[in-house]
Amino acid sequence: MRRLEYEAYAALAEREGEGIVAEAVAKYGVQHAACIHRIGDLALGEMAVWVGVSSRHRAEAFAACRYIIDEVKHRVPIWKKEHYVDGDSGWVNCERCAQPGAHESHADQIVTPLAEGAHGHDHAHAHAAMTPQHALPDFSRQIALPEVGAAGQQRLRAGSVLVIGAGGLGVPALQYLAAAGVGRIGIVEGDVVEASNLHRQPLYGVADIGKSKAAVAAARLRELNPEATFAVHAERAGAGNLVDWLARYDVVVDCSDNFATKFTVNDAAVILGKPAVFASVYQYEGQLQVYLPREDWPCLRCLWPEAPRDGLVGNCAQAGVLGPVPAVLGAMQAMQALKILLGLPVEGAPALHVFDLLGMHWRTLHAARNPACDHSPRELQTDAIDPAALELAYPTLAAAFASGLTLVDIREPWERARDVPAGPIEWHLPLSAFLQGSTALPREGRYLIVCAHGVRSLALAGHLRALGYPAVYSLAGGLAAVSA
Amino acid sequence: MKKITLQYFAVLREQAGCSEERLETAAATPAELYEEVRARHGFTLPLSMLRVAVNEEFRDWSSPLESSDRVVFIPPVAGG
Repeated sequence: MRRLEYEAYAALAEREGEGIVAEAVAKYGVQHAACIHRIGDLALGEMAVWVGVSSRHRAEAFAACRYIIDEVKHRVPIWKKEHYVDGDSGWVNCERCAQPGAHESHADQIVTPLAEGAHGHDHAHAHAAMTPQHALPDFSRQIALPEVGAAGQQRLRAGSVLVIGAGGLGVPALQYLAAAGVGRIGIVEGDVVEASNLHRQPLYGVADIGKSKAAVAAARLRELNPEATFAVHAERAGAGNLVDWLARYDVVVDCSDNFATKFTVNDAAVILGKPAVFASVYQYEGQLQVYLPREDWPCLRCLWPEAPRDGLVGNCAQAGVLGPVPAVLGAMQAMQALKILLGLPVEGAPALHVFDLLGMHWRTLHAARNPACDHSPRELQTDAIDPAALELAYPTLAAAFASGLTLVDIREPWERARDVPAGPIEWHLPLSAFLQGSTALPREGRYLIVCAHGVRSLALAGHLRALGYPAVYSLAGGLAAVSA
Repeated sequence: MKKITLQYFAVLREQAGCSEERLETAAATPAELYEEVRARHGFTLPLSMLRVAVNEEFRDWSSPLESSDRVVFIPPVAGG
């Protein structure tokens, strides 16, 4: 291990800490007691906790010190993160710290019975002055709503939501669900925080870059509502895990960024009969759809009978987005989930809501159940081919050609006109031709599909493999990644 | 000829270069209308990957078009 990091829910920690100190004074009849717990980054060997007691007799002083350190470890909401030498890290909660022998080796705690007249008294006062009036969330401003009330607040507290993805949509969805007092929240997110996430995921900060989004989000959300339970699933949602997880929740909120996950979430919700709130964004636009497990309600597959393959819809350039676009949609997802938990009508009729935040249009497109969609429980489908096995990297197109591959450029004619690659490309077949069902490309042959950045080519390679082409690969990174 | 208001979303908006246009057309169905504007704007997505809504209701591609209909072509989006 390299270093330690402590994070606290400061208001509650101070209140609980003061209670422990007062209990120790009363229980052991000592003069004064005080305790300081450091937070933030600590090197190995640095002091993390200081306890001081002043007393007429040594035995009571030691007993009071021991009581304070034990209770602090059990009861005070301070989380310890261990950073290991290999770059890995993990959060250790306060209960585990309290297990015998679990903490001594990491950072030092000094427990000092002080002689009469030492500084313990001053520290106790300093803590008292820092305690704010309201250390726990106060839901009075939402309880005041006739649709919520005390009974509604109790429903939220008893309710549970599984949120898939803690990115642009997931961050506001999670924040508003936690802040509203939802009692149990699951966070499914396999990614770590990247610098390019922060403009639309302001729950995270620069100090979080490289850390697990799910773990950081859970720590921040605990500050919003320390009474709630947060389950961290730091992995990608898939057919293998989603049904098990979702079975334990009332509602699922899909904040994922790919079709494969969205349709897997849809199927899990249909199988388990759970409400699901879907949203997606594209540049300045967003789409929102709620699935309710009712006879007359359409699912995601009713609208899109052919689950689109990721990468085939849209362009190859990295899709840009302004932060407030997913924020608006994510907050709307939280709103829909809260309505479901509160038992309020979600909407008059099932619909796909389409938002254009550049032009400020909101279209409510009414959707009905698709009679061709069987809507019945089915096995979740998984992609048979690992996308990584479809990608090949080459320094130049000539090197790819030399290895025996036939090069197929799938950029549209207008893209080709702008940027003609110098290389042995044999086929120019735009992606749109494949999507229209072109069968010009013979099945035999070993192909390397080439596009601008490798997004569309990867999607098409997967599509062609599924159609029975035995040897189709995608140029990793596209033409942008090879030299002329 | 019918007077139609057309609205585009996502990649269709990018390829059309506008989010809305009004046009006169002889197209009898949304499918015919899409083929007409696809040729003009160079849309790359086939009809099978899209949905169409007419006057705020999802419709079949072969349903009849009326003058003053408001038509929306929608591709699925997945960003999060």
